[in-house]
Parts: sequence; C-alpha cells; structure tokens
Amino acid sequence: MEYFLNQLVNGISQGAIYALMAISYSVVVGVTGLITFTHGEVIMIGAFASFYIFQFVGNNLILGFVASFIASWLIGMVIYYVCYNRFFESPSHISLICTIGISMLIKNLAQIYFGPNQKPMLNVIDNKVFRIGVLQISMIQIIIVITVIVLAGILSFFINKTRWGIKLRTVSQDKKAASLMGVNVSRTAMIGNCIGCGLAGISGMLISVYYQTLQATMGGSLGMKAFSSSVLGGLTDTRFSALGGLAIGIIENLGIAISSASFRDIFAFGFLILILIIRPEGFATKKGARP
Amino acid sequence: MLKIENLSVNYGYITALAGINLEVNKGEIVTLIGGNGAGKTTTLMSISGLVQKASGKITFKGEDITKTAPDKIVKMGVCHVPEGRKIFPVLTVYENLIAGTLGNPTLKKSQISDLVEKNYELFPRLKERSKQNGGSLSGGEQQMLAIARGLMMDPDIIMLDEPSLGLAPIIVEEIFELILKIRKSGKTVLLIEQNASMALSIADRGYVLEIGNVILEGKGKDLLVNPEVKKAYLGG
Repeated sequence: MEYFLNQLVNGISQGAIYALMAISYSVVVGVTGLITFTHGEVIMIGAFASFYIFQFVGNNLILGFVASFIASWLIGMVIYYVCYNRFFESPSHISLICTIGISMLIKNLAQIYFGPNQKPMLNVIDNKVFRIGVLQISMIQIIIVITVIVLAGILSFFINKTRWGIKLRTVSQDKKAASLMGVNVSRTAMIGNCIGCGLAGISGMLISVYYQTLQATMGGSLGMKAFSSSVLGGLTDTRFSALGGLAIGIIENLGIAISSASFRDIFAFGFLILILIIRPEGFATKKGARP
Repeated sequence: MLKIENLSVNYGYITALAGINLEVNKGEIVTLIGGNGAGKTTTLMSISGLVQKASGKITFKGEDITKTAPDKIVKMGVCHVPEGRKIFPVLTVYENLIAGTLGNPTLKKSQISDLVEKNYELFPRLKERSKQNGGSLSGGEQQMLAIARGLMMDPDIIMLDEPSLGLAPIIVEEIFELILKIRKSGKTVLLIEQNASMALSIADRGYVLEIGNVILEGKGKDLLVNPEVKKAYLGG
C-alpha cells in the first residue's frame, strides 16, 4: 500500500508534466487547426536549451525556464513558416506530412549536434525529500506541480480574459471570419503556435530535470504522449487535455507498481485505446454548436 | 466612396466575374441582386480581399485596395458581414462583439464599452444573451449578432451578404428595418440579396448580376418595376 501511494505521487508529478505537454499540444492544434508531429522535437529542444544554460551559465532554474521557452518558441516559428503558413487552404494531410518530415530533420540534426547518447541532466534542484506519514514527496515533484499549475493558470487567464486571447480564439474557430474582423490571421496563428511550443519546451526541461537525463531522440515517445493526452481531451480543449495528461501519468505509474517499469508505455497507450473505445470523443463534452 | 472598375475573378478555369463595374456613393444603400452563381458573393469577397483578382481595380475612398491584405482593408473602414453569419460559435455574444474591434488596436476601453452599449440598444435581444455562446443563438439572433459585430468596427461601409438567408419572414422584416437604421446613422450599405423585392424596395440603387456580368443597373424603384427583373427575380 505504501508503495502504491508513493507511485500515485510519482504519477501525479509525471502526469503534471504530461498535462503541460498536452496543454501546449492542444494550444498548437487549436490555433492552427492542423495536427502536428513535431511536438516531441519541440519538447526535446526545450530540454537541451535548459541543459546548455545550466552547463554554461549556471544552475539557475528561472534562467532554464526562460531559455527553454525561447528556444522552443524559435523552433516553433521555423515549424510554423515551413509547415503551416502556406498550407491553411490545402488539404490537412499536406501540412501533417510536412511536420513529420521536419520532425525527422530536427531529430537527426539534434543527434549530430547534441550527440546521440543519453546525457545526464545537471542537478539544479536540491533534492530534498519530505515525508508525510508514509508518503515521500521530493522537492522536484513539488516544483514541477507548482510550475505546471502556475503556467496553466497564466495561459487560462491569457486565453479567456484578454483581448489577445479573444483574438487567438477567433483564429482557432474560423480563420476567414477572423480575417474579416481585421485580424492578421497568419501572425496571430504564428504567435499562438509559438506560445504552445514555448510551453512544450518548458515541459521538456521539467521532464529531463525529473528523470535527470536527456537525449536527442527523447522527443519520439514524449510527442506521442502529448498527442495521446490531447486526444483524450478532445484535441483542442486545454482543460480536458490537461486532465488526459494527468490521467496517463497516473495510469503509467500505477501500472508500473503492479508490473515493471519497462511496461510503462503499454499502460499509457493501452489506456488511450481503452478510452477511445468507450468514449471516442475523449473526456470533453462539447457545448454549443461547432461549425 | 467605393468603386469597382472592370473587375474579373476566376476560380481555376471558371470565370466568376467577367469585368464588372460598380460604384457605391457615401450614404447610399446599394443592392446587388442575382441568382445563384451570379457572382454576388465573389464581388464582396474581392472587395474585402479574400479572393485573388484576375484583372481590374477596386478603389476605396480614392485609395487602390485591389491588392491590399484583408486585415488592412478592414482597418480602412470596410466591414464585410459574410454569408451564413460566420459568428464565432464558442465565444460568448459579448466576446463576439469584442472580436469586431480586434482590427482596431487604437480603441480605448471606454470607446469599446460605448460601442457595445450602442449595439445593445440597437439589438436588445443580444443584451439578454450576452453571456451565452454564439453557437447557441437562433438563426435570426445569429444574423443580428453578425451585423452588430460588424458595426463594432465602426466602419464607413458595411457590406451584408444575404442577411435574410434562412430566416422567418417576420425576422427578415426586422433585419431590413435595421439596415435602414444603420444607414440613418451615417453608414453606407452594400447589400446582397436573393430576396430581390425587399432589397430593391429599400435600396437607393441596384445592380443586377447574371453569370459574372452586370446586366442592369438603376434606381431601386425603377428596377422594382422593370419587366426583365420582374420576370427573372420577382416571380413575374
């Protein structure tokens, strides 16, 4: 039982990171209206940006956040102009294939420049462990959960309460109508996409700090996790996507508790398949008509 | 105020507009009538910059806007209320109205709330539903929201694409009364309609479009009694 409870704590902190990935994924998909397969690479770039900052500038967590956000923002800009900007009017599989191509390119360039092997992440957080009864909660886990909650809160405020948020939502709902409102659709979608990518970068940093390791090919499975969590939430709904991420994180870790760590992905994707069989639309219940 | 000279638009190999000329003066209600596929919507979309033009020239307030980007055209004071309303379904009514001001970043908060109040006065039903999602409104309310959203831009000219489409006759009358009110407030109106008799009865001038050509133009009242128009669009 003790082990089980502690796995639950691990699941929640890992789920929080998946939740941030899923939120960032659904921001990207929501605002561009196109499915992306570059998200894993964006996450990886964020992780490496913070790694190099920690290595060459110093163990400053805030600086790491900023670096991973900016690096992923920039890579998001490249992806936007290569894969989305010219293809809004085209059939959606064109940009989808383009994102797959770009994802391979980034992954392989990363292997050339960052090296193909696993790197140990520097210890940036003093790894204190708090004991509450039988529960063991580490400093890293607390920081992760707080960071994700704060970022999700900021994003939610930005999207729901500001003029810029309304602008993003008009672009996400109807690009033609948005341009008739005088919105520069291309630029707005670019910035929305980059916000999503920046958040993904931060999630990449968090996961590499959590596991104390990072690798140029780490994006593959993480991108799939972000995608699956987001699918669980109905793809474009940030709140339900976060829930999806959290659920996958918890299921994974509870699954490990009853079997072995190498079965991690079986539980994650098995859960996804199960949910999609029971509720094809994911967790989200849509209110109001959709065009 | 708005002048279209010799405008042609092609969709692939299909000619949508074959060199039309059209003029709208300040303070007028001008209507464009014609059957399906005559090129009415294409005309509006080319004015607001949503389609590529093959040839021709569009000027607004003396400035050439033939190749201007849609968002810049909006900023110059051209508002296009598109066919099928195109309101944002998961924004609230209030947020839909705010969306109308997005093209104008210089607006102050107080000016925006004035505009919102003005529109709520004009469309009291929208005020009741201000917190509801746009997609949950009825067809007539959505059309009113689309027009109100357009008025939020405080445009010089408002172009309405088939505002009566799919609405009950009593709501249609309400909408046409609104159009007269909008003109009274000093705005110019370019109106596209299938409901030709209604449109011509409130319009100062009208153009009749047929497969990409302007075949007739004249005063609204003259067109209303024109035998050709009568036969083709007013049911004899």
